[in-house]
Formats: sequence, structure tokens, C-alpha cells
Amino acid sequence: MIARSTVTLQGRQVPFTPGETILDVAKREGVEIPTLCHDPRLDPAGACRTCLVEVSGQRRLMPACATKCGEGDEITAESERVERHRKTLLGLYLTDHPFSRDEAERGPPNELLDMAERYAAPTDWGTLDNKRAARHGDRNPYIDFDPELCISCARCTRYCDEVEGVTAITLAGRGSETTITTVDNLSLMDTTCEMCGGCIDTCPTGAMAEKLPLTHGLKKERELTKVRTTCNFCGVGCQLDLNVDPEGHDGRGRVVKVTSPEPGTTTNDGNLCVKGRFAYEFIHHEDRLTTPLIRGDDGELHQASWEEALRVAAEGLMGVRDRHGADALAFVSSSRCTMEENYLVQKISRAALGTNNVHQCAAT
Amino acid sequence: MSKEDQQHARGHLPDQLREAGGLTEGVARDLSRKTGLPEAEIYGVASFFHLLADPNTKLRVCTGLSCQMAGADEVLAAAKAAGLPVEGASCLAACDRPPAVLKERRVLPAVGLAQIAAAKGDWNAVHAPGDSADAAWAGAVGPERDDPEHLALNLHGAPDRSASAFAAAQAAGVDALFDQLETSGLQGRGGAGFPAHIKWRAVHGQAETTRYVVLNADEAEPATFKDREILLRRPDRVLEGLAIAAWAVGAKDVWLYLRGEFEIPLQAIEAEIERAHAEQRFGDIRFHTHSGQGAYICGEETALLEALEGKRGMPRLRPPYPVEAGLWGKPTLVHNVETIACVPAIVERGAEWFRALGRTEAGSKLYCVSGHVQRPGVYEAPLGITLDELVEMAGGYVGELKAFSPGGASSGFLPASKRNVPMDYKSLADAGSMLGSAGVVVLNGTVSMRWAVQHQLRFFEDESCGQCAPCRIGTYYLRESLDKSAGREPGTMAEGSPKGGGEKERLTHVADVAWQMNEGSICGLGQAAPLPLTTALKHFPDEFAAS
Repeated sequence: MIARSTVTLQGRQVPFTPGETILDVAKREGVEIPTLCHDPRLDPAGACRTCLVEVSGQRRLMPACATKCGEGDEITAESERVERHRKTLLGLYLTDHPFSRDEAERGPPNELLDMAERYAAPTDWGTLDNKRAARHGDRNPYIDFDPELCISCARCTRYCDEVEGVTAITLAGRGSETTITTVDNLSLMDTTCEMCGGCIDTCPTGAMAEKLPLTHGLKKERELTKVRTTCNFCGVGCQLDLNVDPEGHDGRGRVVKVTSPEPGTTTNDGNLCVKGRFAYEFIHHEDRLTTPLIRGDDGELHQASWEEALRVAAEGLMGVRDRHGADALAFVSSSRCTMEENYLVQKISRAALGTNNVHQCAAT
Repeated sequence: MSKEDQQHARGHLPDQLREAGGLTEGVARDLSRKTGLPEAEIYGVASFFHLLADPNTKLRVCTGLSCQMAGADEVLAAAKAAGLPVEGASCLAACDRPPAVLKERRVLPAVGLAQIAAAKGDWNAVHAPGDSADAAWAGAVGPERDDPEHLALNLHGAPDRSASAFAAAQAAGVDALFDQLETSGLQGRGGAGFPAHIKWRAVHGQAETTRYVVLNADEAEPATFKDREILLRRPDRVLEGLAIAAWAVGAKDVWLYLRGEFEIPLQAIEAEIERAHAEQRFGDIRFHTHSGQGAYICGEETALLEALEGKRGMPRLRPPYPVEAGLWGKPTLVHNVETIACVPAIVERGAEWFRALGRTEAGSKLYCVSGHVQRPGVYEAPLGITLDELVEMAGGYVGELKAFSPGGASSGFLPASKRNVPMDYKSLADAGSMLGSAGVVVLNGTVSMRWAVQHQLRFFEDESCGQCAPCRIGTYYLRESLDKSAGREPGTMAEGSPKGGGEKERLTHVADVAWQMNEGSICGLGQAAPLPLTTALKHFPDEFAAS
């Protein structure tokens, strides 16, 4: 019989699989451990120190995100010591961070503020003079960095390096001057950055934020409604959340930004590319076609219903087949189609119209 | 690029940055093209290290406490007024010859206002007094005799290139050597006081067969300059100790990490390495040197390993410990210079002999004495010596003893009433301080504690790596709170006391912040950084009281 590995968590014996961290087990067991620098997609850094807990046999508090469970460990995530740790740590964070919502939450939710409220961190320790240096005038159109909101948790730089393999940004300087920057403080446009916006997605405080909603003075993320959909820029099928201002577009709702779902919940694991994350303005663009158009005998395009448009297209295709044979037809599918759509294209080609002339633009 | 290629390229990065003249515009991108490493990463590494990040500064005046007590502030101000490319620097490990000035990578001792004036605005013309060539120099070392029977380090001893201790260790065998180390009671001399034999046995017992030995010669704890003297005077002992360690734990490659400001000690150890390699003194064991680039934190062993790998010198989370996963993930034995230099004598003269050299704990110890004493220098004395005895070796006090810092900035301050505490690891810890690196600074009645604390806090703020919040924010918070509570900057040595007008309430949170830094910081820097303030508040409350 294989012995089951267990730890004691808050006085309860719970099982673990060797290699699991204290945080993994606590999450599964519903025991609350706060984190800021943790992202399941990244190697644990243990740098923000919010997840420290007591572990038997260890003199020091241990980071739950980076400490692997050991057989028989007794883990305490709620104690006087841990509580004092959380309060004083968050109190210290707040001396180096604006703590009014107006200032500190400029779009994305600020997890540090939420946590400070949750653990009743002191806000009367004063405010440091420290104004962190950062690069100015980055002319990239999508990503904005506010060093005053940055807590140097390095989630963005680690994401850029470990997940994207791009390493366009880095921790720079040291000590209280530590900040996030690029090579020679260049604009992201002049670096290896691919504008995936993953830095925005992983940032816990909104120091990395999307430029457009900021410059347009749009609503903060908490006031927006999220609508899950599939990205239609390519066939991968990434899930994304349209952030809709319900009052926008004359009360019909307006998409004002795109965010990625929680890592681990969808196949794209919270990742998106530049198109999925930033190219959404077409949705409400005035040039966008919103109904099918059929060219009439007068040579002009006329609005039509889907039924009508499909009927005209079918008649046209079948007319070519009848007059010239099925191999006079060919189908080229778009790389923006999903796999299921591509399947249907070859189905209509082979089964409905009888030709093997079918191709997909991404296949070359 | 393969993982090995990238590892290789990274390891050379700091040297390449230095050769490129430091971090100027375009350098990171150029090096990225040459090495294949990401340009942002190169920029991030260069910006971390003071000697790389600011290449236009040619002179750096030491702002360590002992140099400040000798007027470093005036020297810095005069140099700035003369238009020299100068900045302040954290302790340069020349506290025995203050004020010290770093010229590019060379430490010049005892540079005063006269030397600054004589340079007539040309940084290259700043020289140490009476030494226009800025040649190699060494400090005072006691006892002033060659006495191998009573001194484990024996800094006045003649070089011993016989490798007899290396041969004796091999003849005795690994287990006997480990037992000998254990019986000797040798503790890590870098500051932690960890029993050496445990680390040796741990590395030896790893399943992974590629192992390394790393020498920590990144001596930068303020008030500490003993490793400098060992490297200069007994490089033979250092190499033999390393060779014994490498043989014992099964390593072929030994890395010596010297702080970048140790240009002269580096020359001494490199000459000895060249000779040892040529003589094949230690068989096929190879020694490699690495110059630091200006970062106190790299004296923390895991930060040192990161820097050696060519990364930003930020400490790693432990576990795993370096004995298990150290340099490039391989089992690694990391030791301070002094610890390793004790080993040949232990092998030659026996564990009991070494143990008996100490009084309250095992062995003799190098104490660095500076500040208000007659003859600052490095003194080899029994572990457990008292301050008065130690200062007697250093020629006696200058003025009346007011306070002392027993083991570097990290040990905080103790009042004169603690002068009889045995200066060993346990007794000083029990007194709320620590032996640390045994960098002893003696303060007489002319020094305001507030002023002294302000300089120590400034040091930790400048040298925090910035990785974890308690240290990054806490070091800044404490320094700023003390400044603001006085309503002004440090002021003069004698007049650091509050004159009113400050934000006194900021000091009310010091206890909580210090508790958090101690509990929450990743490494010893942040854990110890509040001590100068908390110990001074405890022992000298009047100097911080509201006026």
C-alpha cells in the first residue's frame, strides 16, 4: 500500500501530492493565504512576502507559494504572529503606495488595496517621499506603466521572460529605486516587446495598465460587465472577456477593453496576443458591416437578411457547378476560422459541392 | 542557444560590461548582439551594480561610519566643490586608514582635504598621502610576530607553499577530516557562525557529482577589513584551505568572488593562483577569480551565487541551500575567506589545538578594530576577548568609550556598560547584538548616536537589493523617519541631536517596522538593518527623545 502524504493545515490533516506547495494545498482546502507576486504560470518568487505562514520545525516564517509540503508538516496560516506579519507588511506597503482608491485604482482592480482593507492594515504610518524614476514618454499605443503604483513584485518581468520568452522588460536599479524598465529606457516599440499585454494581465496593482481606457477616461474595471467570448482573430480559440460598459453605445453596451480569463481556467491559460487583447475597436467602428450585402442588378450593394444572402450565395455556387463541373469551384478558408469552422468548409466543399479543391491560408 | 551556452555567456557578462566601460547608452544592446542574451536582462544586471551603473563617477569617497568619523563628509564636499567626478560609496573595507577613497577600482587610504586640493581638479591626480603611485598597501596587523604555534591565521607568517596540510588531509581521509573540523569547533567567520563541518558533510553527501567550492571574499560589511589582510598577506593559506575543501567535497573547480574594489588583493591572490597552477600544487584543482561590481548584498551567499552566474545579485529563497543546489544548481560549499584560511592550521596542528585558541568559543578570530582607538587594524585574538582587551591590543582608546558596534553595521550599537561581554557569537547574540564579521567600531563621547545611526541606516538603504518589500521599503522608511524626526539631515558628528521641528510621530512606528523587517525579509540584510536604530533607541533613549 502506498502511504498517503499528509500535512496538518490549521489543525486539520489534509493530503498532498509530493511536489505541491503549501499554497497549492491551502487553495484546494479553502484556507485563505494572501498573495501578490504569485501567478500560477510563473516560477514562485517569494518576493512580496504576503503569503508567509508558520511551518513546524522552521524558525522563520515561510513563503507558502515557494515552500513544498513535507510529510507531517504542521502549517499555521492563522495565528497572532501571521496576523501581525500581514498587518505590518501591508502597513509598510501603504507607506510607499497611494492608498485612496481614487489615486490607486486607475482601471484594473488594485489587489494591494483590497488586501490592506481585508486585513485592516494601518494607514497612519506616513508616506515616503520616494518618487521612483521611470522612463518617460513611451509612445507605444497600448501599455502604460505608472511606477508609483508598482510594488516591484516582478510578475510582469517574469511573465515576459518565462511565459512569452520575450524579455522586453526588466527589473532595474536596486533598493528603493528598483523599477521596471526596458533596455536603455527605450519605448516598448523599440524593444523586443510583442505587445501581448501579459504584463497588464499579471500586474496585481494596475501599475501596468491599458492605455486606451486611461486616455479616454473610461470607467474602471470594477464597473464593467465581463462577457466571455472566443477570439476571432485566428483559429486557436483563445477565450477572452469583453469588458462592456453597459451604459455605453446609447445603452446598448460598449466594449471598452478586453481582459483574459483567470489562468488555469481556459485553454489559453490567461494569455492573449496583441490582436486579442488590444484590437477590439473595430467592434463599434462606423465602417463595420453589420448585415449581409447583396449586389443588385443596379450594380450597388443592398442590405439583406442572412437567409437571403445565403440563398444567393448557394445559387451562385451551384450555378457554377452545374455549368462547369464541381472542380471549377475552390474553397480557401481563413486563418481566422476556428478548427470547427475549417472542418465545415471542407465539408461544404467535399460533401455538399463535390470538389476536393479546398485549402486554408495558414497551410502554406 | 543551448542552456550551457547561455550559462557560459551569462557568467562572463559582468566582466564584459566592465570592459565596455559600464552602462552607457547602447552597451546593453551591443552586448546582446554579441552574447545572444536578452538586452533588457543585460540592462537590468548592469543597473544593479554601482560600479557598472554609473561609469562616469571616477572617485568614490567612503561613507562608512569609521571614515565619517575621520571627516569623509568634508572630503566628499571638497571633492565635489573642486569639480571632481565623485560620489559617496558604501564602506570600502579600509576603516583602519580613513577616510578611504576609491579611484576607479583601487582603494586609496587616508585621503584628506590636502590630497583633494593637490589634485587641482584632476581626478586622476588624487593620490594617497606620500604614495603618488598608489601602490599596494596593507594595514596594521597584530600581534606583530610570526607565531604559528599560537595563531591560526598568523598573518605575519611566511608563505607556505609546501601543500603539506593538503597532503596531510588526504592521508587522513575525508571522514577523519570532517571529524577533525567538527572537533575543532570551527564556525563560519563571515558572520553567521554556522558550524563548518555540517556544510562540508552536506556537500560531500550529495548524489550529484559535479560540485563547486566558492570563496566569499565580497567583504563589504561596514567596519570589516580582515579578509583584505588575509588575501594580501596569506594568499597561500587561502588557496590551501580551498584546495583541502575542494578535495574533501569532491570539487574540481573553485571560484573566488572578490569585491570589485579589491583590486590590490585580487592581484595578490591571482599571482598566488598562477604560481599554484604552474607548480600543480594541488593536483588538478583549478581556481577561478570573479570580480564583484559594487553591491554589498553579494556578500550574502545566495546573492553571491546569482552574481557569479551573471545575474542581478538578489538572494535566493532557501531551501534549497547552496550545499544542495548552489552555483548553476550544483552542490556548492561557500565559505568566507577567514573560515577557509583556518583550515590548513587545523589540519596541521589538530582540532584540539585550534579549539584551545579560543576562550569562550573555539578558535582564534580576526577582529577589525577602527574608530576611536590609537592603532586601528586587524588583530588575531581568542574568541571571547573583551572589548577593553582588544582595544589594548590596538593601542588603547582615544577619549572615553561611549558606545561600540561589535560586528559591523548589522550588529547595531552597544553602550560602554557592555564592555565586558565576551566577544563571541553566543554572548553578543544574548546581549541583543552579534559578533557578525567582528568589525568593531569604537565611539567616544564626541559622537552623537543619532548621527551614527543615520549613517548606518543610509548604508542599508543604499545596499538593499530591492527584491522583497520589508527590506526595500523598511530601510527607506527607517532612514527617512529618523531624518524627519530631527527635521533635517544628519548634521555634524557632535550635533546629531534633535533641535525640534521634526515629525516625531514617525519614530512611533519603528518597533513595528523593525519587527516586520526582521520577520518578513528574505535575507539577513533586511533582518538586521533595523538593529542600529533599535539598539540605539534602547541604550541611548535620551538622544532620540523629543526636545
